[in-house]
Amino acid sequence: MINKLIISNVLHRPVRTAVSVLAVAIEVAMVVLVVGLCHGMVNDSAHRVEGVGADILVRPPGSSFMMGMGEAPMPIKIGDRLRELPRVLAVAPTVVHVNAVQSLDLIYGIDLASFNAVSGGFVYHSGGPFQAPYDILVDDIYANAHHSKVGQTINLLNHDFRIAGIVEHGKAARRFIPLATLQDLMGAQDKATTFFIKCTDPAYTQQTTDAIKTLLPTYTILPMKEYMDLMTSNNLPLLNYFISVMIGLAVGIGFLVIFLSMYTTITERTREIGILKSLGASKTYIISVILREAVLLTAVGIIAGIIGSVIMRKLLIGIFPTLPVELNWDWRLYAAGLALIGSIVGSFYPALRAAQLDPVDALAYE
Amino acid sequence: MSVSPVIHHAPQPAEGERKDYVEPIICTKALKKIYRFGKVDVPALRGVDLVVQEGEFVAVVGPSGCGKSTLLHILGGLTGPTGGQVCVDGNDFRLMSDSDRTRFRRHKIGFVFQRFNLLPTLSARDNIAIAQHIQGNGFNPHRFETVTRMLGIEGKLNHRPFALSGGEQQRVAIARAVICEPKILLADEPTGNLDTENSQVVLDMLRELNRTFRQTILMITHNPEAAGVADRIIRMRDGRIISD
Repeated sequence: MINKLIISNVLHRPVRTAVSVLAVAIEVAMVVLVVGLCHGMVNDSAHRVEGVGADILVRPPGSSFMMGMGEAPMPIKIGDRLRELPRVLAVAPTVVHVNAVQSLDLIYGIDLASFNAVSGGFVYHSGGPFQAPYDILVDDIYANAHHSKVGQTINLLNHDFRIAGIVEHGKAARRFIPLATLQDLMGAQDKATTFFIKCTDPAYTQQTTDAIKTLLPTYTILPMKEYMDLMTSNNLPLLNYFISVMIGLAVGIGFLVIFLSMYTTITERTREIGILKSLGASKTYIISVILREAVLLTAVGIIAGIIGSVIMRKLLIGIFPTLPVELNWDWRLYAAGLALIGSIVGSFYPALRAAQLDPVDALAYE
Repeated sequence: MSVSPVIHHAPQPAEGERKDYVEPIICTKALKKIYRFGKVDVPALRGVDLVVQEGEFVAVVGPSGCGKSTLLHILGGLTGPTGGQVCVDGNDFRLMSDSDRTRFRRHKIGFVFQRFNLLPTLSARDNIAIAQHIQGNGFNPHRFETVTRMLGIEGKLNHRPFALSGGEQQRVAIARAVICEPKILLADEPTGNLDTENSQVVLDMLRELNRTFRQTILMITHNPEAAGVADRIIRMRDGRIISD
């Protein structure tokens, strides 16, 4: 019976219901998408580094584990010393440049031979390896997003690069140019940002890591597993704060809309509340009606938000194919829980007010 | 789930008086109600002594502002008295909190209002059923059928209030008021918003309830003709009973 009353009240005011549901849906979608984007970018970057196939990363002393943060201060000759270590199969020096023109991505300067030795080589969708200093390889996701074809030119670092090949995605970056070219363009001749190291057997990773640490005690030496463990939002400066702020904003929006919606509701339905009180409805009953109505609106909003986040993700990827947005059920449930708590808290004051209305005044309300 | 109301016993008569004494269902002594508006005190009831026996049909008449509605609201537990004594069905309202009076009202009092006061989003059936739901004793289909048949509203149960005439809405309101078999039916100007024909139908229904079920009815009205259906007429003016 009480559910009939609640559903009929919700349906009786379709605009108010729609606005409340939309606010909660936006709240849920915002949390899921923002977190999905942040985690997606972090995870995408991490997986692509992992996709190189290296067992160990060597980075400059005191550097962050994040690729792209830091210049190219390591002498490239370090690579020769690393190759001499036992159980090292291949060493690939790379220079990493953060490109912020027209998009935000990392450009890898690679020595193709050593990179292939570590990674097992690129899988070409079309074209082939570098033929000239100003050749570029792009991955298939980049090529689809920009309608790129082999032979076309891309302007990068104020130079025109010819697309030599389109490769399968998943190795380090979306765009690769010859190591020497990037070193020249960055003024980092004979320098490297990161060395990717492949062991003769992955079982030797820890021993090799220890050996490298002995050789280069001040350098940042990261087994790939450790690198992957570090690549979470918890370890990235300010990202967690950003996520928390965005979640706080989203929950705040939902709370405020539900608060205002229920507050307006009890004002509009003052007489109905008086009628219920004249029938002997207790304060608990009145509070229960208001809270259940808020929960119903929120539940519908949560479902709409989850569906909306899936649609938005598809739209975003359609417009920005290189944008990684990861949606997972953990965060959907978390967003749903936050929305529910926010709406219960937001509707509690209006519910209390409704319960405390004087029945005589409420019955006389116009 | 059946929920029993709280019993707050009214003072009992002396031992020697008990043999012939029938406890009235309503008893007030020097009942006062003062409303405070800012710094101004407005006395609505100035000492009302009233006795109503079970099964009586009493009409309270008087001009606007004489305190009829206030008396009804106090007897129904919607508001508390400022002074004096009020006992309903053996319960002394002075000893009862707001939640006690609410619980009492749920089980013992039925209200009928001038403006019908049906819930606009529910059908007639659900408007009646919600009274049983609030009482907590569950839906009683036999009682529901008896009441709706007696009031002649079986064919209108699926309509919402906006699709019912004034007379039909008031009959639905009466059904809602009596569905839980209250001890007392309090009617606040039940014909105030009805035309003559529908007014007579509603008054006849109330009369029928009183005769068939010995329903105690206290009806307030400013219409002397409407008051004529009652067994007893009490006149009020300026917060006092002037004739009974």
